[in-house]
Amino acid sequence: MAGALDFTPAIPLLPFASFLVALLAGYFAPKLLPKGGAIPGIVATAGSLVLSVWTFFAVSQGDYLSETLYTWVVGQDTFSLHFGVLVDPLAAMMLVIVSLVAFLVHVFSLGYMNDEGETGLPRYYAGLGLFTFSMLAFVVADNLLMAFMFFELVGLCSYLLIGFHFREQGPPSAAKKAFLVTRFGDYFFLIGVVAVFATFGTARFVATGDGAHAFPHMAEQALAAAGGEGTMPGPVADFLDVVGMSAQNWFSVVGLLVLGGVVGKSAQFPLHTWLPDAMEGPTPVSALIHAATMVAAGVYLVARMYGFYALLPTVLAIIALVGGFTALFAATMGVVKDELKQVLAYSTISQYGYMMLGLGTGGYIAATFHLMTHAFFKALLFLGAGSVIIAMHHNEDMWDMGGLREKMPVTYYTFLSGSLALAGIVPFAGFWSKDEILYEALIYGAGESPILLVAYAMGLLAVFFTGFYTFRMVFLTFHGDARSETAKDPHGVGWNVKFPLVVLGILAATVGLVNMTPVAKFTGAHIEFLKDWLAGTEGTAFSNLGYEHYHHLLVDFAGYGAADIAPYVPAAISLALALGGAGLAWVLYNVDEPVEHTEKLGGAKTVLYNNYYQDEYQVWLAEGVTLPLARAADAFDQGVVDGVVNGISSVSLFSGSRIRRIQSGVVSHYAAMLTLGLVALLVVFGVTGGWF
Amino acid sequence: MVPMEYYLLLSAAVFCIGVFGVLTRRSALMFLMSVELMLNAAGINLVAFSWFHGNLSGQAFTLFVMALAAAEVAVGLGIILTLYRNFDDIDVTNATTMRW
Repeated sequence: MAGALDFTPAIPLLPFASFLVALLAGYFAPKLLPKGGAIPGIVATAGSLVLSVWTFFAVSQGDYLSETLYTWVVGQDTFSLHFGVLVDPLAAMMLVIVSLVAFLVHVFSLGYMNDEGETGLPRYYAGLGLFTFSMLAFVVADNLLMAFMFFELVGLCSYLLIGFHFREQGPPSAAKKAFLVTRFGDYFFLIGVVAVFATFGTARFVATGDGAHAFPHMAEQALAAAGGEGTMPGPVADFLDVVGMSAQNWFSVVGLLVLGGVVGKSAQFPLHTWLPDAMEGPTPVSALIHAATMVAAGVYLVARMYGFYALLPTVLAIIALVGGFTALFAATMGVVKDELKQVLAYSTISQYGYMMLGLGTGGYIAATFHLMTHAFFKALLFLGAGSVIIAMHHNEDMWDMGGLREKMPVTYYTFLSGSLALAGIVPFAGFWSKDEILYEALIYGAGESPILLVAYAMGLLAVFFTGFYTFRMVFLTFHGDARSETAKDPHGVGWNVKFPLVVLGILAATVGLVNMTPVAKFTGAHIEFLKDWLAGTEGTAFSNLGYEHYHHLLVDFAGYGAADIAPYVPAAISLALALGGAGLAWVLYNVDEPVEHTEKLGGAKTVLYNNYYQDEYQVWLAEGVTLPLARAADAFDQGVVDGVVNGISSVSLFSGSRIRRIQSGVVSHYAAMLTLGLVALLVVFGVTGGWF
Repeated sequence: MVPMEYYLLLSAAVFCIGVFGVLTRRSALMFLMSVELMLNAAGINLVAFSWFHGNLSGQAFTLFVMALAAAEVAVGLGIILTLYRNFDDIDVTNATTMRW
């Protein structure tokens, strides 16, 4: 009897098969492909979903998996490079999330792409299949190099899908931007991967079997040895001698390098600028990118190698501060946007900022929890936005909407569920997870690491803005009077749009119940299911991947300590702020004829509309710094490097052009030269031979 | 009994006449004749040394060289004929196309 885990490799491979089918059949026999490739995609992702759920239950029985599938470089006396599968509670949870969202996005695409008469559908579904495959393979990756490879594939797929409407002007440019900005971060990630290999000689996340090592564990041993306990692992000690830095400093450098890729992919400041532009892609793609795949990959990577990050207080503080700042920064920009998807884009940046804040402040459970709830409610919001966009004939401007509540009740109520979750209103999903992140930040900040309080303050302030922009969006879109002809008579949507919305709407309302920390503290009931799920098992090779272990690391190595603060007051504060933001939106925008209030912001409005001039300064960096630098390098290359080579060759050319003149073609000249040569030889022999 | 030096002087003289002809004449026919002179100067040398050492193989070789020279003249005349067809002349300084 084969167990569920024997089929784990099939979870990513099924979408890959649908990618191949859509690609090949779409190219050679488009007529044979039902619904332009949607059916194979739906079947494949449904299969992945079933297998993921099965895997999930197997993992809940304590069945973990770590095995090498294929070694593609066999090292002689050094490390080998391989593909492998690692299934632990974190990966199992993420597999379910990704395959569920991917499945629903495929179904939704039937309504958004097929029913709207888009062309190039096989290309679209091939892209979705490859995207899902890459993300699922990334999730089960058992070493950092494999993770990096699929991380890059995810980036490639986002490029292909954002630029789906390649004949228009915006999407190709947005696709290029997404690709280049994330690639900038990935460049550091690549160096980080090489550094990990060089330092530890392995990039495995977990060590199973004889002679296998895992790099987070080796880092832990090395730091313990630096603190006077145990012995430093040999390769690490050798390499530290080479770089000439202490273990703590060097590991921080490596951690920051890998973090570069995370910042790019998870759209953290300052590499967030690609994400709002990525809205040029089809809306289901936006849902997939923002909820389950691309953007989630960054945060998932940090969670995956948390055993490494938990050792490094400096890096944790940086993660927390970047996350907190991004959360606040993006939320303020979301306040003034006019387009539905733009508001959602900034909310995504902001919410991933919260996850980074959670990871940086030691709230591993909280961040993972938020990753899960956010996946559901953000997918819901994007699909809801897609439904609205279908109804509005692809007009995204919220000022042309209004009054859609009566006309599309399913979309309205599910969207409302997602919005309540996003704003963090009790008891919807986002409240529990976001509140837990803030709570963790507060207790560790008040405990031993006061710097985290700064991040906490930024995160808390962002809650107010989140509540405000979320409900501004809801009220402008669905409430009040219809403000345009299309809004008066919107286009209907079919079952294939409503079904994903309802599934996600229910999840957004309920999924927060799996980890109600304040309620657990209050009642003493044992209901923190997610915490138990991620706690890790003692005594197996996988115990290093659990929260219990991470918590030890945080306390022992990063010097984190929790203050004893009851969760009720902080929860009440953040809820009050969220309600305050929502209430302000209610006062300003829940009227029959809402008007823009942004004028009251004065100069701040211009700054916000221009996204704090982030794009401008990055363009300036590119044009004002990088371009002249590249020009100078080019001049050096053309002038000095090529100059030397050309100079040498010009000597040959010149002397050749002179010497060839002796080849006159007149046979007498040749004869004369022969004779002269003979005479010269005779003279030489005569002189040296002593004839004279 | 003619001393050895006389033969060598004769040979050198004939060779120099040949070289002089090659260097100064422009007609391909004169070229050919001059080359024959040089070849036969070498032949005289060969015969002289053969006689001097009392070994006949040098003289036998010279007979072969003379036969080969006849064949060579046939080839040379053929080349001169082609030269004439292509350049309407047998002046070797005109035929300068075989160069860079």
